[in-house]
Amino acid sequence: MNVNWIGLGTFVLKEINRMFRVVLQTLISPWISAVLYILIFGKVIGSRIDLIAGVKYIDFVLPGILMMNIISSSFTQVSSSLYFQRFARHIEEILVAPFSYLEMIVAYVVGGVVRGLIVGLGVYIIAIFFTEASIEHFWIFLFYAFSVSMVFSLLGLLVGLWADGFEQLNVLNIFVILPLSFLGGVFNSIYMLPEGAQTFARLNPFFYFIDGLRYSMVGISEANTIIGLFIIFISIAGLGALGWYLFKIGYKIRS
Amino acid sequence: MPDLALEIIDLIKMYGSTPAVRGVSFSIKRGEFFGFLGPNGAGKTTTINCITGIATPSEGTVRVFGIDAVTNYRETRRLVGLSPQEFNVDIFATTREILHYIAGFYGIRKRDREPKIEELLKRFELTSHAEKQFRALSGGLKRRVMLARAMVHDPDLLILDEPTAGVDVQLRHDLWRFLREINAEGKTILLTSHYLEEVEMLCGRIAIIHDGKIIAIGDKSAFISGGKKLEQRFLELTGSEQ
Repeated sequence: MNVNWIGLGTFVLKEINRMFRVVLQTLISPWISAVLYILIFGKVIGSRIDLIAGVKYIDFVLPGILMMNIISSSFTQVSSSLYFQRFARHIEEILVAPFSYLEMIVAYVVGGVVRGLIVGLGVYIIAIFFTEASIEHFWIFLFYAFSVSMVFSLLGLLVGLWADGFEQLNVLNIFVILPLSFLGGVFNSIYMLPEGAQTFARLNPFFYFIDGLRYSMVGISEANTIIGLFIIFISIAGLGALGWYLFKIGYKIRS
Repeated sequence: MPDLALEIIDLIKMYGSTPAVRGVSFSIKRGEFFGFLGPNGAGKTTTINCITGIATPSEGTVRVFGIDAVTNYRETRRLVGLSPQEFNVDIFATTREILHYIAGFYGIRKRDREPKIEELLKRFELTSHAEKQFRALSGGLKRRVMLARAMVHDPDLLILDEPTAGVDVQLRHDLWRFLREINAEGKTILLTSHYLEEVEMLCGRIAIIHDGKIIAIGDKSAFISGGKKLEQRFLELTGSEQ
């Protein structure tokens, strides 16, 4: 396969430059939110809570807050970039250039992953001022941060293609990503829920993403790791294949 | 390289059940300056979009220098430069950034990009506007950026969709001179324009599309024979004048 490496690198650079052009919105805003979450939930409320699953409350919620920000940033980076390019029609610059469909997808996804990781790194640095923020299994930490941001970059790609307005662009974030993140055990152990709700919580893929990152940081896990990994790999393969097909047929980008 | 820069055979483009292009066929020889005319909504831009990859043909064949533009689209994209009718550009990017990104998209290394971009900025008198955002430029300057962008990868076939729309007289004359120069250097040019005197002056061969079909094609001399102006002939052919 003949890869347009220079084109791909330029495309990625363009996506990253776009992120830094609106740094207040793309980086500062999630970092401020993270400070507030860590301060209120971790410090203020957490100081009145005993150990949870054997760790301090602030250390328990930190991986969830971190993952929530990685998810949201990766998703928004790709969905808004692609949507605005469609809206302003400069997606045509990409369509007339010698890119394969895979290269187009890779460029958007790398942009999303980079933003997810930068936001995640910032949240982690902020957390150091409030707690130990230990990472027990560094490579597992990196794997979850990277792979989950990839999943949500791909999801952002599909929403960026599908959305016909700003309202649709935010629908998934407001009605799916945010509630499932909160219900996926950011602030509570699954064992704090009634038994029926625990079964429901185990059907929530976000529970596995947050649990995986939590395991890598504080060494406790409440989920089946195999199921978590299966969800991640299936999501990347499924969303990637669907994205590739939609680019190939030119869904909402080519008339 | 083949003799034909562009070959379109039985091109059909449907938007839902509405035909925009209905069996268009024509070819352009290497090095030709070709005028592609038609009233608004006749199918000019749709045909151009099918050549460049902005639209997918419903049926038919498009070949650029003998290469199929659908099956081997990546190869044909490198050979074509497009200056579109509408400004399809990131309005927050500067002129220099726009040219840098596009040059990169076409695989031009950074060290090779710099002199090419400087040359184009100079050629289109954009040097003093290089660091300005696209949205801050006047209509004429925006049009120049579009032209520079189309040429940044040195394409063999240049497609100019109404390049002089909204451009002042001085720039239009500069542009004509420039297009003649690059055509003389061997570039093949497909030009659409509503300024028929411009087409009459620049193009060697002309095709007229109306209602999605080619209704006339031939040498310029065939259109302006008998002392007629191209505009008069165009109006007769498209039925715009009773």
